Amino acid sequence: MSSDLLSIAASGARAARGALDVTAQNIANASSEGYVRRSLRIEEVAASGGAGRIGDISLSGARIAEIRRNADSFLQGEVRRTAGDLDRANTELRGLRNLESALEQSGVFTSIVEFEAALQQLAGDPVDPSRRAAVIGEATTLANKFNITASSFDAVGEGLRFESEAQVSEANIIGGELARVNLRLTRAGVGSSDRAALLDQRDQLLERLSGFTSINTTFAVDGTVAVSLGANPPRSFVQGGSSGRMASATVADGTISFSIDGESVDPGSGSLAGASLGLAELATVRARLDTIAGNLANVVNNAQAAGVTLDGSPGQPIFAGTTAATLRVVMSEGQGLATAPAGAAANSRDDANLSALRQSLVTLDPAQQLSSVLFDVSSKVAGRNVTQSALETIASSARISLEQQSGVDLDTEAANLIRFQQAFQASGRAMQAASDIFDTLLGIGR
Amino acid sequence: MIDLSTGAFFERSTRQIGSLRSQAEALQQRIGTGERLERSSDDPVAAARLRMLARQERIGEVDTRNSQLAEANLSLTDQALSSIADIVIRVRELAVQASSTTLSDEQRSAIGVEIGSLRENLVLLSNSRNIVGHALLGGQATGPAYIDNGMGAQFVGTAEVTPLEIGEGQSVEPGLAGPEIFEFTTADGPTDMFTLLGGLAAALTSGGQTAAEAGSAALAGLDTGLEKVTTAQTVVGARLNWVDLMSERREVTAERMAEERADVGGADIAATMTRLQETLTILEASQASFVRLANLSLFSMLR
Repeated sequence: MSSDLLSIAASGARAARGALDVTAQNIANASSEGYVRRSLRIEEVAASGGAGRIGDISLSGARIAEIRRNADSFLQGEVRRTAGDLDRANTELRGLRNLESALEQSGVFTSIVEFEAALQQLAGDPVDPSRRAAVIGEATTLANKFNITASSFDAVGEGLRFESEAQVSEANIIGGELARVNLRLTRAGVGSSDRAALLDQRDQLLERLSGFTSINTTFAVDGTVAVSLGANPPRSFVQGGSSGRMASATVADGTISFSIDGESVDPGSGSLAGASLGLAELATVRARLDTIAGNLANVVNNAQAAGVTLDGSPGQPIFAGTTAATLRVVMSEGQGLATAPAGAAANSRDDANLSALRQSLVTLDPAQQLSSVLFDVSSKVAGRNVTQSALETIASSARISLEQQSGVDLDTEAANLIRFQQAFQASGRAMQAASDIFDTLLGIGR
Repeated sequence: MIDLSTGAFFERSTRQIGSLRSQAEALQQRIGTGERLERSSDDPVAAARLRMLARQERIGEVDTRNSQLAEANLSLTDQALSSIADIVIRVRELAVQASSTTLSDEQRSAIGVEIGSLRENLVLLSNSRNIVGHALLGGQATGPAYIDNGMGAQFVGTAEVTPLEIGEGQSVEPGLAGPEIFEFTTADGPTDMFTLLGGLAAALTSGGQTAAEAGSAALAGLDTGLEKVTTAQTVVGARLNWVDLMSERREVTAERMAEERADVGGADIAATMTRLQETLTILEASQASFVRLANLSLFSMLR
């Protein structure tokens, strides 16, 4: 076997061209989402000498052995895990913040204080019609504020549920895509650029999926992936070329549950987990607000029943409804307020029953109760804020280390460009040398 | 070796500059509003404290109004009591005058007529109104306190005055009920000022021996009555003092609350401004260095 200088040089030029192509591709995709830097493995083509041919020079140049995709699967796994945690924290925090705003900005606390103040003002002159009207006015405001808070809570829950439903259907689409990518991966040649592009796509899909729930991945040698979602226990979602079906269901109290192929699953992390945590918190806070509204109505109405109104008749209820959403004022005239104790004459300035009402309000202390609900929610928000910023730092450092490992560095590529250009030119020189040699041989004997 | 990647560089820079910007905006908001807390979750404990302070301040406002009401009513009561005392003292003078043996029946009768009209004045005074238009001495009733029945006057109010809250759990009775001023006990048993004056006037106008003795006989009763009135004045004075004292306390409390509110929720302008300046300086430096670093590419060297 012999060597052929021209073909060796040509193979070198081809390899350098390929390397230049890969470099150009890297530069072009320097800011493409999910693109992993490719590098080229060039290997020598040479035959080993056979029997009787020891000492022969049998060299055949170089060839492109593999287009390598420089992805570190550990770092990718870290990015998926930390991003899922961050998405959970983000969604939960957003829900809680909305909850806090609904509770704080509706001004229900202020209106309770105003109601108390109006009652206290009435004590100054229990028969004054304008002070009585002020109490009814504040009671109406109070009921309205409770209604507004309840409907803001509805809106918060509605938003979280809508978002999770959209995400569940997106997760199903991603599952289908992953199954298709799996199928195509089984057909792609090892070390081909086609395969590298498919792997990019696969990793990108996995990352998007991990934003919704926690995911477990098992990679096969051919690059296909088996995915199971959620925790306690994880349910299989993508297996080879087939994917499962995720679904969500809303429970009566507004919380949400998830299932894959009919089997219930806990999302574990990701925005679906965040939404389900946020909705659970919303249900709790809502129940507490309903209790406060119900107790307040009860205490006021009971006190009313114990006294007599301005004209000496027994007091009628002020509030109707037992929840924050249904609370309303049913008394229209201030003279219906039963400030005097039972048995007092008409137009009595005796405010014993008003004092009893105020005393029982002090005992119930709805303002304090509401303040502690607000405190609980806001301290949860503050705590989650800390968690979220910690998770954000972790997630962003995981992403940055992945980008550092797998991303394109333009300076390196610029250096590669020069290097491979020189290699190409050198191979060209070698071809020139082969041609010169050929000419020399032809020139013999002239 | 740590690989550098262009994407990682840009991502890190965006993150850093973005977080600096949001910090600067938060500080700017603090300066703009003068409040350290934008929402409760910025500092839940302080926010809860601020809520309770706002509630106390609101209740304190009503306390102030109620206390002003009580003060006005007590002052009115005090004035009425002075006028009542004046009348009783005048009647006593007249009674002393009438007890003189040198007076004729006609003169005593004239004194009787004057005492009669003074009694009517007393009834009118007893029905004076408080600051919101209810009977000043009528207790918990809204109508008149006394009804004149010619000789005496009948109390139609209630004997109790509703105490009014004036803050910090303290309350004051913003007035007196009629019986506390007009009813007393003489040697002849319980009586009231109206009956005493009515009887005296009638006795003086009736002439003869009864008229001559009526003046001196009434003196003991008048003294006891006057004592009752001055006692009532002392009580009212003490209550006014109490209201004053509580007003001062409320002012001190309000001041303390305002101070606490500023401590807990107010933004320290000087410190915040300094922090803002610091953040802005760092932000500017980051932006400038970002631009220079981003321009630093090997490609710009390859010509």
